[in-house]
Amino acid sequence: MKKNNRRGFQLNEKQLGYAMVLPSLLLVIAVVLWPVAQSFYNSLFDYRLNDPTRSQLMLGSTIDLERYVDNHFYIEGQLETLGSADEELAATATAIQEEIEGYHAELIQDEEMRQKVEKIDEMLASYTPVRDNELKYADLENDFAADYREALTNAQEELDAAAEQAPNEEVASTITQTADLLGATSANILESNFIGLANYGKYLKDSRMWGALGNTAFFTLVTVALELMIGLAVALLINRAFKGRGLVRASVLIPWAIPTAVAAMMWGFLYDGQSGIVAHYMETFNLIPGSSWLLSTADGGMFSIILADVWKTTPYMALLLLAGLQTIPGSLYEASNVDGANKWQQFWGITLPLLKSSVLVALLFRTLDAFRVFDLIYVLTGGGPANATESISVYAYKTLFAQQNFGEGSVLSVIVFLCVALISFIFVKLIGSDLFAGRTK
Amino acid sequence: MNKKAGIGFYVFLVAFVFLVMFPFIWVFLTSIKPVGEIFSSFRWFTTSPTLDSYDAALTNRPLLRYMLNSFVVSGLTTLLSIAFASLTAYAVTRLPIKGKGLILGLVLAASMFPQIAIISPIFNLVTDLGLRNSYLGLVIPYITISLPLAIWILATFFKKIPFELEESAKLDGASPFQTFRKIIFPLAAPGVFTTGILVFIAAWNEYLFALTINSDDMWRTVPVGISMYQSQYSVPWGDISAATVIVTIPIVILVLFFQRRIVSGLTSGSMKE
Repeated sequence: MKKNNRRGFQLNEKQLGYAMVLPSLLLVIAVVLWPVAQSFYNSLFDYRLNDPTRSQLMLGSTIDLERYVDNHFYIEGQLETLGSADEELAATATAIQEEIEGYHAELIQDEEMRQKVEKIDEMLASYTPVRDNELKYADLENDFAADYREALTNAQEELDAAAEQAPNEEVASTITQTADLLGATSANILESNFIGLANYGKYLKDSRMWGALGNTAFFTLVTVALELMIGLAVALLINRAFKGRGLVRASVLIPWAIPTAVAAMMWGFLYDGQSGIVAHYMETFNLIPGSSWLLSTADGGMFSIILADVWKTTPYMALLLLAGLQTIPGSLYEASNVDGANKWQQFWGITLPLLKSSVLVALLFRTLDAFRVFDLIYVLTGGGPANATESISVYAYKTLFAQQNFGEGSVLSVIVFLCVALISFIFVKLIGSDLFAGRTK
Repeated sequence: MNKKAGIGFYVFLVAFVFLVMFPFIWVFLTSIKPVGEIFSSFRWFTTSPTLDSYDAALTNRPLLRYMLNSFVVSGLTTLLSIAFASLTAYAVTRLPIKGKGLILGLVLAASMFPQIAIISPIFNLVTDLGLRNSYLGLVIPYITISLPLAIWILATFFKKIPFELEESAKLDGASPFQTFRKIIFPLAAPGVFTTGILVFIAAWNEYLFALTINSDDMWRTVPVGISMYQSQYSVPWGDISAATVIVTIPIVILVLFFQRRIVSGLTSGSMKE
């Protein structure tokens, strides 16, 4: 057994403490902080996964070596074919060939570039796709890139013009083929897609973005307010001794515990215009204009989403508030009874002030959850009809993954992030240091 | 305030529980109806109950496979995050380190981050690692949700254990890590278990990451799999209600067995003592 004096022991405890915190901190940094920073960085680019000329983040000019080497391989042969097909064009073809070779030689003057080109050449010869982006893309000097690209497009235009005067169809098609090849090669030399805050400017003027933000804010305000009021009422009512508490508690927990997507599917069935029971009863009791109103109109869609969310989350809210109520000592109510206070005065004078911090913390978590709403809306209405129920998260998801537009989608993600940060900041100011009470010394 | 519960109170209670449970009741009743009846009438009880919808739900889509996927992913996520979180929560609540407030603040902030703000870099990362359509591909992003949650709840449980225990362990010559492993962790076991249940449910319910990262049908989790039952042209409500009943059963069992724990975990996570 090691002998420890008190000082040494303290030091060890500290080191152990930091060692114990470190893995989690690194994980949080790796999977939360870094991605948020990366999202912000992505939002500064015109970055689209489905467009090969913009599928990378490029601060300067870049060359897509895989495609370039492949295209370049055919240029010489193609130009020779062209020269022998049309004698008038032979001189032009040679001139173009020389010019391209000049640029190509300049490109591979750089030792590293030459090695990359050779490596890719080998891989292409064996039909191996280049997956390593470090190898596939290389930075170019902006001036050189512009010159090379211009030379290629000029040559393409020259040939296109020549194609119109070609003696016959066959020669014309050879010329066009060559021109297209040169055009394709010029498209492999990529311009920077860094556009700074231009994406933000676009979205600040985008009515769909403001619509989505408005829907999200409306949804958040209404659901959280309803959940708080109903939850508080239920908590006050069941804050007493009664038989079957366990059963009530379990039944209240089930809506909270099932996946939101499953709840959304269930409600989708209940709301269905043809066979939905909720839609049917509401129509029978004249609560709604028609059974299809719920999912096929803008107001109905919003109402449906809010009702489903209130159903799923109010029980949870009631549980949290009930636990808060149970920490209020009964003696306070007894004393105020002696003083002749009525129930209403007791509620405002004792219950609410003492429940304040529980309510604020519950509100903070609920508000943030509601503001991030995605699955409920995505599964229940898909954001429709006509984007009337689209939340900002749903809009961001569609831009990111349906349109594969990671630049613009990231702008929307960053907007969600900033809103959430603002909401948290306001709540944390309101709650103050109470949030950490009971966790740190 | 222990008021006596009267008849009116029980009537209210029954009505409340009925309202909360109504969607489940209706979906269950639908799941045992013959398909024709679902679309033709609003009668509550069918005269000819059948399990056809269950059969269809299990054969039309790999529902059991979805459940297996969800189970493995949520289980792995729970184990990993509890392992990391218990160390951190212990250090933050019981060891003399600096910057506790900062660490907890960071953890809380991380739990508030909207998933949509991190999904595209995470998607690129998982794609680059070749982990799309795998269990690990979901466990990594799930850490973002589960680790802060676990640290936050575990911290309250560790805090409740009397500090005298550590003092006496010190006097007996136990090293700080021995104190954690042999004394505090076993004492906190109920709290750790509770946290585990909450983390498991959170991972089980996750939708956005599962939808984008595991797009192959064999790797889908329950929430995503269920939402894929509806196609563009028809909505097979019979299949959907049967599938909903099947995937809800494990949750109902979990809740019935552990309701006390779940409530204590939920309230400790969002309330000061």
